Amino acid sequence: MKKITGAEIVIQTLIEEKVDVIFGYPGGAVLPIYDELFKQKKIRHILVRHEQAAVHAAEGYARSTGKVGVVLVTSGPGATNTVTGLADAMMDSVPLVCISGQVPTHMIGNDAFQEADIVGITRPCTKHNYLVKDVNILPNVIHSAFFIAKNGRPGPVLVDIPKDIQTFKAVYKGKKNTKVISYYKPNLKPNINQIDQFIKLLENSEKPIFYVGGGVINSGEVASKNLFKLIKSTGFPCTQTLMGLGAYPTSDNQCVGMLGMHGTYEANMSMYNCDLMICVGARFDDRITGKVSGFSPKSKKVHFDIDASSFNKSVNVDLTVQGDLARILQVINKKIEEKKTSFKKAKIKDWWIQINKWRSKDCLKFKNSDKIIKPQHALKRLDFLTKKYNPFITTEVGQHQMWAAQFLTFNKPKHWMTSGGLGTMGYGLPAAMGVQIAHPNSLVIDVAGEASILMNIQEMSTIKQFRLPVKIFILNNHYMGMVRQWQELLHGNRLSESYMDSLPDFVKLAESFGATGLRTEKPSEIDDLIKEMIKVKGPVICDVIVDPSENCFPMIPSGSTHNQMLLGPNDKVEGEISEDGMVLV
Amino acid sequence: MNKKNLKHILSIMVDNEPGVLARVVGLFSGRGYNIESLSVSEVDSHKFLSRITVVTSGTKIIVDQIKAQLAKLIPVHNLVDITELKSFIGKELILIKLDVKNKKTFDLKKKLERLSAKILEENDLEIIVQFTGSPNEVKKMESILQPYKIIEQTRSGLVSMATGTDYIKK
Repeated sequence: MKKITGAEIVIQTLIEEKVDVIFGYPGGAVLPIYDELFKQKKIRHILVRHEQAAVHAAEGYARSTGKVGVVLVTSGPGATNTVTGLADAMMDSVPLVCISGQVPTHMIGNDAFQEADIVGITRPCTKHNYLVKDVNILPNVIHSAFFIAKNGRPGPVLVDIPKDIQTFKAVYKGKKNTKVISYYKPNLKPNINQIDQFIKLLENSEKPIFYVGGGVINSGEVASKNLFKLIKSTGFPCTQTLMGLGAYPTSDNQCVGMLGMHGTYEANMSMYNCDLMICVGARFDDRITGKVSGFSPKSKKVHFDIDASSFNKSVNVDLTVQGDLARILQVINKKIEEKKTSFKKAKIKDWWIQINKWRSKDCLKFKNSDKIIKPQHALKRLDFLTKKYNPFITTEVGQHQMWAAQFLTFNKPKHWMTSGGLGTMGYGLPAAMGVQIAHPNSLVIDVAGEASILMNIQEMSTIKQFRLPVKIFILNNHYMGMVRQWQELLHGNRLSESYMDSLPDFVKLAESFGATGLRTEKPSEIDDLIKEMIKVKGPVICDVIVDPSENCFPMIPSGSTHNQMLLGPNDKVEGEISEDGMVLV
Repeated sequence: MNKKNLKHILSIMVDNEPGVLARVVGLFSGRGYNIESLSVSEVDSHKFLSRITVVTSGTKIIVDQIKAQLAKLIPVHNLVDITELKSFIGKELILIKLDVKNKKTFDLKKKLERLSAKILEENDLEIIVQFTGSPNEVKKMESILQPYKIIEQTRSGLVSMATGTDYIKK
């Protein structure tokens, strides 16, 4: 059989993995691969302006399509620049394959030019990684990388390929004839006995709640459909995590909103007072639980997850079921049908009355103004005016992110891309690029803050080059808003370094990249601005000047429990925040 | 009962590839778990498998979490918590170099013989002793040698194996 070079093998294997787009940045140690990329037409390369952005773009691509995102970078700084992105993908379970160039094998360990031990550096922030030292195993490694990235709990896989390996020759017999890692077999099939136990809990519960996370979205659209069916047939309430928004339609009446630190009053109170908590693909993150010892003290807890290490990690649960959520939910639905379990709505009637009482607090209400734009109002209008386009929303990190989660509607999975676990400022713009490339005709909006957007603003150049009509909606309050909010609440209002001085003129900045810039500070103009933003065919930066003093509520202060929420600026933290609470992030 | 810190011996079958030990050790350090003893070596040269024995301690919840995290590592084929099995053997090897300059060694050698310790090297200045036993036996051995001047010592870390059919699969 004909031998081909390692670089050719890379391209061939990617084509076999049905990769149609790569996000990358060339450099010395990947030139042979870029040379092969040049010679073919099947894979499109998106040249970013910083490798971190390549990873976030691949994340946006992966999260909005369910496919594996692919990144290609050079050795040394090219590779180290991907670390934040990889850590982000690891935390949020995003399937990625990142291919990095490396100095030639004989120079590894010699502190060669642009050498970094990227396999060592990324070991804790990838699902797995490889340093390929033999061209003959390269096909096996790349196909295995894709297999690992998308199977089980998804995650990023890095493949480090020294430059000499890219030029050495080997036989590639195609994916079918390549042995892919055989013993990595995540358990997908749920244990029926455990599901029977769950059904019993389901039937006896009087105050149940579904607690839904991003795992449902990762499992695929079937999981969302099965979940919808289950929630509808039970009549139970449902709350979603930041990552889970869209797994169940947020505008549905049985949805009580997002839970956690900035979740709704009704969601958190329901979690605190429930007698049965059904966790579907979430991980009891500290933003969700608040103070663990006071977390939902009266409930039986059931946890469905594909990742066994998520069980009993921070919160002890009573029943765990491991497997693919789509399958688990399907089995449950089938059992309910077979048993003809009819859920007597009367049994949970009082529970709904209670929930609706909490709901009537209208915890997301804010005092609107006709003089200054309230960020919540801006988002409400954005939601109203873009709803019919079924937009994809990405965000940066901070107050604007929480407001976006609270005030936008997410009725479909894979339409909401935000950095949940790692909380990476600068995520939203490159992620929006990746989404736009996967969905060229859709409306893609990056809801941003003026601080976060500057962290990857160089990507305006990528947006210009590839004519991506991304809409950037900046809620500009001249502060790192969430930092300022914590300084107000916890540090005596000493606003250390959180004021955003010397901001650029975002309209001129947009124009300098051939984009459209829109700006307003008047509440009366916000609708026109949004309509104009949608109307413009190309990329737009909207600089929406909002109330600089607005804070994000409701809020569970650090070290507090779900029933100790602050509902507005007039609520004060009861007494001093405990020392335990102060050290929490 | 679940709150008690207990010792656990984990036997882990892994691919013998570069970096695999770093993955296992990095998991312990990165997540703040304890390693009390560690031993690793290739056990199957055809399938390129190594067996790692880690002694760790923690509450049941912590140890369950350690096991779940280890099982998630891609090169890990199989993992057994040996301490949870019916019966098992745990042994360690220790080498000790004793200073015997200008000293009578007759009593010492008698003691060593009784403990089935081997003398690997003997001259006017030093004796190197090899001893194999359970961690308790090794401790006892160390205390017996306490009166003598120990120049240096090295221990292999625990290796362990279950009895009967509860063996670790490849």
